Amino acid sequence: MNEKYKKAVDVGRKILESSSCDYAEIRLSSSVATLISLSGENVDSFTLSESVAGSVRVLVNGSWGFATFNDLSALEKFYANALNSASLLNPTEKSVVAKYKSVNGKFKTEVLRDFMKITPDEKFELTKRYNNILKNSKSVQSTRVIYRDVKTEYTNINSEGSILSFDKSYCGISLASIAKAGSVIQPFHESVSAYSGFEVVENRESLAEEVVKRAVDLLDAEPVSGGTYNIIADPKLCGVFIHEAFGHMSEADFIYENPKMKDIMIIGKEFGPSTLNVYDDGTLNRLAGYIPFDDEGILPTKIPLIKDGLLSGRLHSRETAAKMDEEVTGNGRAIGVTRQPIVRMTNTYVDNGEYSKDDIFASMDDGLYAVDVIGGQTNLEMFTFTAGYGYLIKNGKPTKMLRDIVLTGNVFNTLKNIEMIGNDRELFGGLGGCGKGGQSPLPVSFGGPHVKIRDVLIGGKR
Amino acid sequence: MREIIERVIPSKLKWYDALYVAGRSQPVSFKNNRLYSISESESSGFGIRVNLNGKTGFSHTNSLDNISETVKRALQMSSFGDSESFNLPDNTTRSFEPYCAEIEKFNIHDEIDGAEKIIDDIKSIYPQISIDLGISSAQSEVRLINSTGVDQSYRESHYGFSISCTYIMPDGSRIETWESRSELKPVDCSELKDILIKKIENGLTVEKIESQSYPVLFPPQAFGRLIGFIASGFNGVSVWKGISPFADMKGEKIFSESFTMIDDPLIEGSPYNIPFDGEGLPVSKNFLIRDGVIETFINDLKYAERLNIKPTGNAYRGYSSLPSPSFHGIRIKPGENSFEDIISTIDKGVLAEQFIGLGQSNTITGDFSANLALAYLIENGKIKGRVKDCMISGNIIDLMKGEFTLSKDVERKGSSLLPYCLFPAVSITA
Repeated sequence: MNEKYKKAVDVGRKILESSSCDYAEIRLSSSVATLISLSGENVDSFTLSESVAGSVRVLVNGSWGFATFNDLSALEKFYANALNSASLLNPTEKSVVAKYKSVNGKFKTEVLRDFMKITPDEKFELTKRYNNILKNSKSVQSTRVIYRDVKTEYTNINSEGSILSFDKSYCGISLASIAKAGSVIQPFHESVSAYSGFEVVENRESLAEEVVKRAVDLLDAEPVSGGTYNIIADPKLCGVFIHEAFGHMSEADFIYENPKMKDIMIIGKEFGPSTLNVYDDGTLNRLAGYIPFDDEGILPTKIPLIKDGLLSGRLHSRETAAKMDEEVTGNGRAIGVTRQPIVRMTNTYVDNGEYSKDDIFASMDDGLYAVDVIGGQTNLEMFTFTAGYGYLIKNGKPTKMLRDIVLTGNVFNTLKNIEMIGNDRELFGGLGGCGKGGQSPLPVSFGGPHVKIRDVLIGGKR
Repeated sequence: MREIIERVIPSKLKWYDALYVAGRSQPVSFKNNRLYSISESESSGFGIRVNLNGKTGFSHTNSLDNISETVKRALQMSSFGDSESFNLPDNTTRSFEPYCAEIEKFNIHDEIDGAEKIIDDIKSIYPQISIDLGISSAQSEVRLINSTGVDQSYRESHYGFSISCTYIMPDGSRIETWESRSELKPVDCSELKDILIKKIENGLTVEKIESQSYPVLFPPQAFGRLIGFIASGFNGVSVWKGISPFADMKGEKIFSESFTMIDDPLIEGSPYNIPFDGEGLPVSKNFLIRDGVIETFINDLKYAERLNIKPTGNAYRGYSSLPSPSFHGIRIKPGENSFEDIISTIDKGVLAEQFIGLGQSNTITGDFSANLALAYLIENGKIKGRVKDCMISGNIIDLMKGEFTLSKDVERKGSSLLPYCLFPAVSITA
């Protein structure tokens, strides 16, 4: 930590000690980052960089003022700016925040191999090695490997007296091959990331081999025909499914200001089969959605969102918890210190059920096995999730490979169509993340076991 | 700045260029019908690209007292970089600034009053509605300097207004719809409320739809998203990498002759216009597709050199990134009929406004498959009600090869200027 940053933390503490706001917080960060981007024979970028940033957020007489900056030497001025902004407002309805205990803590990512001590040459060699694997087929037209590491000193202090810091190391890699045959062009991509040292990106040769194989295989896959299918989703797709089909619905900012949503999202309401259990858990160390504390200075908790099929909890920021008179959960998150915290997921997953993967396949005569993930989106009523690829299932066995599988559903019905839940849960992160309210990408992880879902609509020509 | 840089660089350096950006903004946000927060943002940063021994290095910082360290890092990293032998421009001129002094007249109290009036007007029709609204005023300065003598800067001004409405029915089904504008100066955006009110009104009743192909009419915003999949194939980077479906087709007529797509750096009123590109080259208008024929791929100096074509002046960069080719403003040549004329020709079809999951297909090849988040059934030339819980799928490249009708009405959405577009048959799965 450099002198200027330390000084800003001290100045911030003094400002907050004498603050008369309803609530005030100061967030500061200082980071150094490495980015390597290779494609085909090119080095698109190999960049070392640094960045400092800060923000002040104050609640005065029920109004929020917020100031952001990268000049840490003028904290008093920016605090005054935030106060001034808040005083311009004369809200008809006041904002309130839930109070929380004063917490002091210094957190640090545990690393096996500190990427700060690894030479640029070694990072470059590893990235090149993966790129060479990704190129390793005559059908591959181009590739893309992105290596990223970010070392951040993050400090979060507030008017309740909390002083929290997180010395975090985030590292990840994204691997893509783009295969081409005639006019057919098929990209395939995988990504891993974690709060971790260099170890998370090492020994991923088999992942790179899988990426190139999938991209090439997809050249011969047929586009799926549109229609309604019974599907089996693999653990990764199950994760995106639960993130889109339910996770966002449990974010309380979508609920608390809307009387209709409050009526719909009543605790105890049936959302799925009695074997369905869904959690959000920011305490899971190392995973991409891990937070030692949220961006409002609250410690995370494991929140059961669905228990035995019934709605059992939701995710809160300080503001939504206060408005709904519920406990804070530690889900006020921002993609960086210059953005305001909003309610976000962390690590969200479907918990294990009773069936083996074999049981699930054996139960399906005719359907579709949807594997891996391209993405997902929801509008809190309908959602889509896109598989990387899939297979038709006949008599319990995967057969023909299919591509272009975009699945859609309705948040109120589709969870009820889950018929079987496997016992092989896995969680996944990656260099991408979740987007909401213009804040993207936020590191999250997601996962679950294999699940069987009936009557899922898939787009495509018939 | 030049002094600090030149103190650090070795004499054998081939060239450098550096970008300095500084800006401030004042965003106001309304959440759920009420004024929520006012923010003030200040930010600045510096990025430098060097070419040492024919290889390019880059680094950036936002601590402006660390410029010499940043230059040293860029030099250090150049040994890993690609070989590049192009030269930087030595004479960059500024013909205009994307700046309007009226941005200074941004008055937060007036803006708040105006926003509250809009919210009240919508609420008077739909008392249960939830409205989020954002207004922001921003100003910045961009300065480019290089080793061949260029030191040129310009100011930018930006006024943004966005409004999003969520209307929830008793069964939990929802209409979520939004409109936004980006301008050089504060403008009255109250007409957006009428558009939103109409969109909600049209969606209050839900009509059944069967799986089959229908005529589908895309409004400018929606059409622009699909056209974006085609445009990405005209980027010199994907052409050079061989992943553009148009890579080897320069001069070929592959689209309908009614399809003309232009990259235009001077779209009237757009705050996204720039006087010179991120490497200091003049910007110019280019036909990407003229009457269905593939004409120009856009590039920056690196990809002009690699593709051995004329530079188009399309380098875009922030301080924290190397330049890379991007479009100035996509303009589609409009048709001859009005929107009203076009919709009146549809016996049974769909007006597709908003999607969920668009862009998560294999968009390189033009494929799309998305849930219709907001779409309407058209019957006998009129909007009859909403269609939902269905997917729209197709391939935009194939669609633009066939028959379609473009409107003469165009709208500027972000940096693009786009008409409405009707396709006679697009697959809907319900």
